[in-house]
Amino acid sequence: MMRIATDMGGTFTDLIVERGDSGVRLYKSPTTPNEPLVGVFNAIQLAADDFGQTMSELLAGTDTFVHGTTRSLNAVVTGQTARTALLTTEGHPDILLFREGGRGAPFDFTRSYPRPWVPRDRTFEVPGRIAADGSEVRPLDEEAVKTIVERLREGEIEAVAVCLLWSVVNPAHEARVGELLAELAPGLPVTLSHEINPIVREYRRACSTVLDASLKPLMGAYLRALQGSLESRGFRGRLLINTSAGGVQDALDVAAAPIHTINSGPAMAPVAGRYYAGRDAGNAVAIVADTGGTTYDVSVVRDGRIPVTQEAWIGERHAGQLTGFPGVDIRSVGAGGGSIAWVDAGGMLRVGPQSAGSEPGPVCYSRGGTEPTVTDACLALGYLDGDYFLGGRMKLDVEGARRAVTRISGALGLTVEEAAAAILELATEHMVGAIEEITLNQGISAQDAVLVGGGGAAGFNAVAIARRLGCDTVVVPALGAVLSAAGALMSDLSAEWARTLRTSTDDFTYDDVNAVLAELQGECAAFADGPGANAISTTVELVAEARYPSQVWELEVPLRVATFAERADVEQLRSDFHRVHREIFAIDDSRSPVEIVGWRARVRCRMHDRGLLPDASGSADRALAHRPVYLRALGAVDVPVVPLALLSTTDPVPGPLIVESPVTTIVVNPGASAVRTATGSVLVRLDKSVPSPTRARR
Amino acid sequence: MSIRNTSSVDGVRLALLTSRLQSVARAMMNTLARTGRSGILNTARDFSCCIVTARGELLAMAESLPIHVMSGPDLMAQAMLEFHPEVAKGDAFLHNSPYHGNSHAADHTLLVPVVDGGEHRYTLMVKAHQADCGNAAPTTYSADATDVYAEGALIFPCVQIQRDYEDVADIVRMCRMRIRVPDQWWGDYLAMLGAARIGERMMFELGEEIGWDVLDEYRREWFDYSERCMIEAISRLPAESVTYETCHDPFPGIPDGVTIKVVVDVDPIEKRIRVDLRHNDDCQPSGLNLTESTARTAAMIGVFNSLGPGVPPNAGSFRRLEVLLRDNCIVGRPTHPYSCSVSTTNLADRLTNAVQGAFASIGDGYGMAETGAAMPPAWGVISGRDPRHGHRAYINQIFLPSVTGGAGGPVTDGWLTIGHVGNAGMMLRDSVEIDEMHHPIRIERQHILPDTEGAGRRRGAPAALVEYGPTHAAMDVMYGSDGAVHAAKGVRGGGAGATSAQFLRRADGELVELPPVARVTLQVGETIVSHSTGGGGYGHPRDREPDLVLHDVMDGLVTSGRARTVYGLDTALPTKNP
Repeated sequence: MMRIATDMGGTFTDLIVERGDSGVRLYKSPTTPNEPLVGVFNAIQLAADDFGQTMSELLAGTDTFVHGTTRSLNAVVTGQTARTALLTTEGHPDILLFREGGRGAPFDFTRSYPRPWVPRDRTFEVPGRIAADGSEVRPLDEEAVKTIVERLREGEIEAVAVCLLWSVVNPAHEARVGELLAELAPGLPVTLSHEINPIVREYRRACSTVLDASLKPLMGAYLRALQGSLESRGFRGRLLINTSAGGVQDALDVAAAPIHTINSGPAMAPVAGRYYAGRDAGNAVAIVADTGGTTYDVSVVRDGRIPVTQEAWIGERHAGQLTGFPGVDIRSVGAGGGSIAWVDAGGMLRVGPQSAGSEPGPVCYSRGGTEPTVTDACLALGYLDGDYFLGGRMKLDVEGARRAVTRISGALGLTVEEAAAAILELATEHMVGAIEEITLNQGISAQDAVLVGGGGAAGFNAVAIARRLGCDTVVVPALGAVLSAAGALMSDLSAEWARTLRTSTDDFTYDDVNAVLAELQGECAAFADGPGANAISTTVELVAEARYPSQVWELEVPLRVATFAERADVEQLRSDFHRVHREIFAIDDSRSPVEIVGWRARVRCRMHDRGLLPDASGSADRALAHRPVYLRALGAVDVPVVPLALLSTTDPVPGPLIVESPVTTIVVNPGASAVRTATGSVLVRLDKSVPSPTRARR
Repeated sequence: MSIRNTSSVDGVRLALLTSRLQSVARAMMNTLARTGRSGILNTARDFSCCIVTARGELLAMAESLPIHVMSGPDLMAQAMLEFHPEVAKGDAFLHNSPYHGNSHAADHTLLVPVVDGGEHRYTLMVKAHQADCGNAAPTTYSADATDVYAEGALIFPCVQIQRDYEDVADIVRMCRMRIRVPDQWWGDYLAMLGAARIGERMMFELGEEIGWDVLDEYRREWFDYSERCMIEAISRLPAESVTYETCHDPFPGIPDGVTIKVVVDVDPIEKRIRVDLRHNDDCQPSGLNLTESTARTAAMIGVFNSLGPGVPPNAGSFRRLEVLLRDNCIVGRPTHPYSCSVSTTNLADRLTNAVQGAFASIGDGYGMAETGAAMPPAWGVISGRDPRHGHRAYINQIFLPSVTGGAGGPVTDGWLTIGHVGNAGMMLRDSVEIDEMHHPIRIERQHILPDTEGAGRRRGAPAALVEYGPTHAAMDVMYGSDGAVHAAKGVRGGGAGATSAQFLRRADGELVELPPVARVTLQVGETIVSHSTGGGGYGHPRDREPDLVLHDVMDGLVTSGRARTVYGLDTALPTKNP
């Protein structure tokens, strides 16, 4: 049987097919934003043609179809979600308007304050109040709720979000509002905050709740249409959807909680990155970078775990929309192949934030672009072969690219090659900045990590980025160009539950904590017996969300016990917290007690046990050659261009050289050497004695 | 139009190293935000981090609060060398003296010299507003302090707190004996130190990697570049000399209030801007006196708000900007022992408003309206004992959405969570649930007060109401709220924002008006009700686009009546509710 994964990106829809033990093949088809399913089925058709099958034959032979979609993200960005109402605690109608504060740049008064996701005239205040300790201050006014439901019906509301203060400690009021809605407005999609995202902090919880509710009509229809279309074409297997936690869930479960799909694409990259870092380089610490046309997404793997955050933004920080929903920690910076280079009024080179995107794209795509981009710079440097892009299916305009770069070289008094190298170097610096931010926040030392480069354009500067970071190993997987889709095929069926229960290591409430942990484990067990019934293996991870007294940002500490039996268990948690705090922030307060605010359980059900190998039939369609390129350290030089299939698997080939395949190009700088691994990845080792590129500027 | 790069500037190196130095400042900020112990640091982000050169020039400030850093780091770095001519690797200095370059005494500043090979290369600054600083009264803003003795804070005029990476325990003991909830202070100190040391490590790496000499060359180029950007911005302005006045409300010690007068000279030929603050009152027996750093900075913020984005704020661009101060002036160089306990907000905000208002009078498209005045009880300092946790003491400034209205500008409406003009909306607001978890309080209401915005083509941000009180035991609230008498003025036909007010709600529900500056003890069952100010509008409200007025009605900022009468909206308003 076959397994298929599709990942719908902004420009391309990637599809990979894994056929038993005979390897994996990958396909790319343009994304069709207006009719998203068309792009998906176009990609399936490409695969079927390649296998010499009809689409029905291909789908009938598929037991698992994993789908990643940007449908929900696009709907949020373009404001095409359902007409949603928010029910909130009386006295607090402006939670969404006030946001959390913060602003991008202090002296920039050209950007407007963002409007709330749900405007005030669709926000309703519910009388009744729960206190911080869960006690009832004022009872819920059910008559008032009934009146609100009347007004919802009159207002042609399509979805309802309910977020009441302290529902995470005592959900009675919120749950009752949910019951009344179900009773009085049956069929109206509703999301309750304590169910979708039980975290303290009303604004973040409200964000998750309104986003989820506003996506329900649309994503329900989309996922049902996908399932229906697949089944009508012969598919009888299981449809799974990528989630922002870097896992997969059944399509119908996701339709009931569609916020899981926001940012799910980039969340799969570290799943694949973790696999390749371990398999190719034997390292459980990795920096996983995915280079796209407009953004560079970075995630990390720490001790084999992929850290999560509740601070995910749609759009720019402070200006965009916070999701508040826990997901894989990903930093994005607007630096990709399409990022535009320019020289500002003061004579300083800039790259981005403007991007030529996919339309018109870089100048060399000959689709009307006029501003020089990072891709144009790579072409001008000779890193890209204009006749071999996508295996020769698309011709690139080398002269056009060079002409565009002269805008920069002229302004800076440089040669075209020097200017192109500078553009790539500055883009590299922006990417390094994004990496440093996440590694600092997650307490990872780049020197200990392997850099995994994903995305078709990763190879131009992956080695240069590693050099800048002081990281001595780079892995560019054979499936790097479709890293998210690869991650989707590797990922586990996963789910997560959380409870808010505050306690402290110096006054530990054993019974309450153990009761919460028992509940959480019960939920995991039910999931394992339900959706995860046929799993090869199941793991449950319990974590405490802990902090020092009066700190407000919690750190996750994995628990070593499922039940706290004695003082030693608590002391273990306390010392584990000190260690995590020290790892991440370089300081700890070892005499201090530790407060625990929340408890979380993650269940992962492994549904398959194969690593992904590229199709063994892949062979070199070109011979070893030489090509003139420009390298900053050496100037213009002729370097060997080695087709990926011809790269040695045993003897590292020293740089400078270029490793090339139809989908990727890897520049191996002097002081580094490359070898092909058993999985088909290119593994580059850097010689640490070579100085960094910035230093070479002297 | 782009200026051709005729000098020998390396536009590539400039970009690369600018990015790296901003990363250092940002790494320091992130570390402090995530490890701070008090709510004022870890929730509100009331802190700043920057890099200054060995000579004390501001180099990089990342997302710092403007009022903390435009001027101050320079003065403090110079004070460090005056008092400690020989700095060594591993040193750290605690500085909070208003008389030696700091802002108010509640802003503890750590200065860490970056010393490599025995040579002092740069100085790193971490400034963080403390939850308490040992004032006589439980607040970090003693508006009614007649002098520094009445204020009562421990003053540290750049004293050594670390030597060879070890604490000078004498200083730590002093702080622990005088600062309320000493463990909270200690936790914040550790966080500040961690931030400074992370910055130091990154600077060492940078110096090692590219060489200090290269960094020196970069520094010169960066300052020249920034100056060129400033020149460009100034050359777009008309030649003008403008005088503008605005008033701070009567406060304890200043029964008639304070009129702030600024004279702004724009010289696009010489490419210079001069702000003269010398025609103002002498220092007063009040906590409102500005320090040298906050007087200079407040004026600079008004200028930068008017220049628009694109001019990097640092010692290079500052070369074209002159702020004239005099000694013993309420908005100048303070004379010891006058108190400067409230020097970052009230008069500083009025001063910034006067400068940006002056720019607005140059012509349409310039300057900004006035931002609403601070700081109502929604930003009060609360203190007491918490019966939920063994009656342990607590003190902290809370940051509920007082939403002192942002000012309308030529392009956009007032920023809704500006806080006050000096922090530019960079701070975060508290979560209701987090505040209720940390302190024995309940926040009963917080919402926009409709029709409080200064109307305009670009309106000011509206005011907000916040109501809260203690849940388990009596609690003190201290605040000093400007703007009850003098509203934020609109410019170029724009209206003024609403004035501030505050009330005590007794257990029986009766509302009693409270004075603008007070220490109020609330009993369980009582609440304090805070009305913040609205921001001034820019341009005539009749010129506002009907779509935008309609959005304001939908968002509950403006009532439909006002939309018609003030904005002249004649489009049919949505009748269906919602």
